[in-house]
Amino acid sequence: MKNTHAANNNHLTIRQYLKIGALLTIITVAELIASYINLGFLLVPLLLILSAVKFVIVVAYFMHLKFEDLLISKIFAFAFVLALCILLALVSLFIYDPSIANR
Amino acid sequence: MSQEAHSVTGIDSRKLLMWIFLASDCLFFGALISTYLIFKDNIPNPPYPTDRIVNGEFFHGLLNIPLTSVSTFVLLMSSVAMVLAVYGAQNNNLKMMKGWLLSTIVLGIAFLLFQVYEFRHFLHEGLGLSTNQFGASFYLMTGFHGVHVGIGVIILISLLFGSFRRNSLGSDTGFHIETAGLYWHFVDIVWIVIFTLVYLMPY
Repeated sequence: MKNTHAANNNHLTIRQYLKIGALLTIITVAELIASYINLGFLLVPLLLILSAVKFVIVVAYFMHLKFEDLLISKIFAFAFVLALCILLALVSLFIYDPSIANR
Repeated sequence: MSQEAHSVTGIDSRKLLMWIFLASDCLFFGALISTYLIFKDNIPNPPYPTDRIVNGEFFHGLLNIPLTSVSTFVLLMSSVAMVLAVYGAQNNNLKMMKGWLLSTIVLGIAFLLFQVYEFRHFLHEGLGLSTNQFGASFYLMTGFHGVHVGIGVIILISLLFGSFRRNSLGSDTGFHIETAGLYWHFVDIVWIVIFTLVYLMPY
């Protein structure tokens, strides 16, 4: 009954939350195994993809962003993309001129 | 009687405020992670984060990936416990809410103990805040995250104690638990990024 109530509110059931928890655990174990296997150039993109999948699952289902007003998604997405741009800009700058880090 | 505070957007202004705070925290952690990525290779002398051979001499790495994987699992499970506490609150199940809230607090404290152990181990091995730029950026980033977890634990303890003072869920209790849950899950997603970038990525 309670599960139905929750589902009607666009939220998930207990069983679905537990399944998501199990999925997050499986992805974490996969990340760990991947980091110990010699995957060469595939390792970094694989780890980034798995990490991004975990990130999206937690934000969408545990933080209920999937069921929230679009405005909230826009606010969070804007800040996340801005943070990502700052990260990429700073790291690129220091890769271009590594001597800056030693000044 | 519920005291909902809807803004012109139709969204509860308290929830909107929490999301704006989390968005600003995204930028905070973005800056800290950038700093770490820039300075992580600036290690003139041992100890080193990973196993390496320098001038024919082998040095054991500081980072304990299996241990940190366990602490990551603990934090992930705390997120599951938190979402179940929110579920209990939203369905007027006080007993369920209290149980899962307590589980979240215990798992959060366990994560902090893992971090204290790691920091003590690093200090014992000779990596302090001012040893090198790797140490400074590592302690700053993970320490800032640890402070967030600590604040989250304090918030959850205050909510748990508040729920013990009454026999039913107040009109705003579910909302407070949900808002605290947003903060807690945010702390979890930040760790998802830190765990991948610091511990799993090859140096």
